[in-house]
Amino acid sequence: MTAVVQAEGLTKYYGSRRGLADLTMEIQPGEVFGYLGPNGAGKTTTIRLLLDVIRPTSGLVRVLGGSPREPAVRARIGYLPGDLVLESRDRALDYLRFLGRVRGGVPSSRIESLADRFDADLSVPMRKLSKGNRQKIGLIQAFMHEPEFVILDEPTMGLDPLVQHEFLALVREVRASGRTVLMSSHVLAEVESVSDRVGIVRGGRLVAVENVAALREKAVRRVELHFAAPVPRADFEGLPGVRDLRVEGAALACTIDGRPDALIKAAARHTVVHLVSAEPDLEEIFLTYYSDEEPPR
Amino acid sequence: MNGPLISKSLRDHRGVTFWWTVGISAFMALYLAVYGSIKESPEVYGPAMIAKFPGPLRDLMGGLADMTSGAGYLQTAVYQLFVPMLFIACATLLANRSLAGPEENGTLELVLTLPVDRRRLVLARLAALALGLLAVAAVTLLVAWGMSVVVDNGVAFGHILAGHLGVLLLGLFHGTVALAVGAATGRRLVASAVVGVWVVAGYMVVTVGRSWDAISWLKWVSPFHYYAEGRPLYEGVPVGDYLVLAGATVVLALTAVLAFDRRDVGV
Repeated sequence: MTAVVQAEGLTKYYGSRRGLADLTMEIQPGEVFGYLGPNGAGKTTTIRLLLDVIRPTSGLVRVLGGSPREPAVRARIGYLPGDLVLESRDRALDYLRFLGRVRGGVPSSRIESLADRFDADLSVPMRKLSKGNRQKIGLIQAFMHEPEFVILDEPTMGLDPLVQHEFLALVREVRASGRTVLMSSHVLAEVESVSDRVGIVRGGRLVAVENVAALREKAVRRVELHFAAPVPRADFEGLPGVRDLRVEGAALACTIDGRPDALIKAAARHTVVHLVSAEPDLEEIFLTYYSDEEPPR
Repeated sequence: MNGPLISKSLRDHRGVTFWWTVGISAFMALYLAVYGSIKESPEVYGPAMIAKFPGPLRDLMGGLADMTSGAGYLQTAVYQLFVPMLFIACATLLANRSLAGPEENGTLELVLTLPVDRRRLVLARLAALALGLLAVAAVTLLVAWGMSVVVDNGVAFGHILAGHLGVLLLGLFHGTVALAVGAATGRRLVASAVVGVWVVAGYMVVTVGRSWDAISWLKWVSPFHYYAEGRPLYEGVPVGDYLVLAGATVVLALTAVLAFDRRDVGV
């Protein structure tokens, strides 16, 4: 199967400033790839290289099996720019129709149904749109021609939670139909629920590509247990994965690396009245890739 | 695929083309209306009065040899300096709104990711620029001709057409300069500056500089030489000169296409 994105040693310098260094990665058909990094890390540079807006200094990039310089390749991509500018006095609907015509025709029914989903008003002149409403227009145009590959640069910026929810549902539908999505973000929480894999870019370098499920396994979880009667600390000491153990009377608190299995089995020998387990904080793991230090414990 | 691109650009240009058409038409109508009174009293505007102008100023206005004849007045007041400059300004504005402006404000990025070859995109924007300018020229030609009939300046329609065609070619040439520089640099300011310098230098060379041997040879690179030297209002279309202007425009257009095709956009 041909990779949707195939980058080898992809490098981009802006004069002497490094935009992206030696990026090698593949994105496979049907996956949702989260591309994470702080502002200025090289996310947008990568995306612009994938779309031939800018040209690599060195290295190779292939998208959907071809060069992004070929219009036929770009015809199969949908794109939401990170900083979408819509300036015209034209109504949003006219602009979407124009984009549809250049793309060889998009049925109006599809534009309308997407507008309904996102609750977007297409009759407003574009320059009067708020940030959030502009973003909705951007999402509609990225999805409206049902592209095989959707590239979204910071798609959730400015969206209210309801629309964000609808957007994530749409991404899942795209994946379910076997199509591919690349979405960038500087906040992991925004992409973790839909991404299969995440790539982490920092200072122009891809520092890690992780399976989201694997990342969750690595996650540190804070767990609290309350028992019917005070429990001996000795029962819980030295369990695999358990750290920062604190036992005070009938209450126990600790953090867990990876699986909670051993703790649960130890706790099962007592009467548990209450259990609290916080969602794994992927953000924290994510941050460990940014700071070259150990994650805070 | 070029159809939607051209019609979109024309839509985007409609405000500029409309108001510049109104402005240039008003300018022409006003100046031509004055001709009536000049024709009535040629002694006031005759050689005696012209002689009071300082020499360089006379040169700057194309010699002012003949203010009282219909063609002479039309040439001096309309086709010598002001209307060509207005056309050039309009063309530069349209050119800057075609590539460099959208690149600077960020709207070009999405367009570039559409399934359109970059070379075709430049050609489509150039076509829209040419069509917009043609619309301005067509309406203002009718105004120039209509007012000429009203004030009865005796200039044949064919000669007005010849002069107007020259203005259109001048505008198109400079618009393409702006487009090419904008395509190569992505900066409106640079594009405008190049046009500005070329226009001022080119115009000076063929007017005040023409009797100055050290620079008079520069007329060969002045677009105004190919516009005015053939005296279109008197002699009709100077075919060779206009072909030079048109040919140079084509070369610039190809330069714009090649420059834009090999560049990072928006960085």
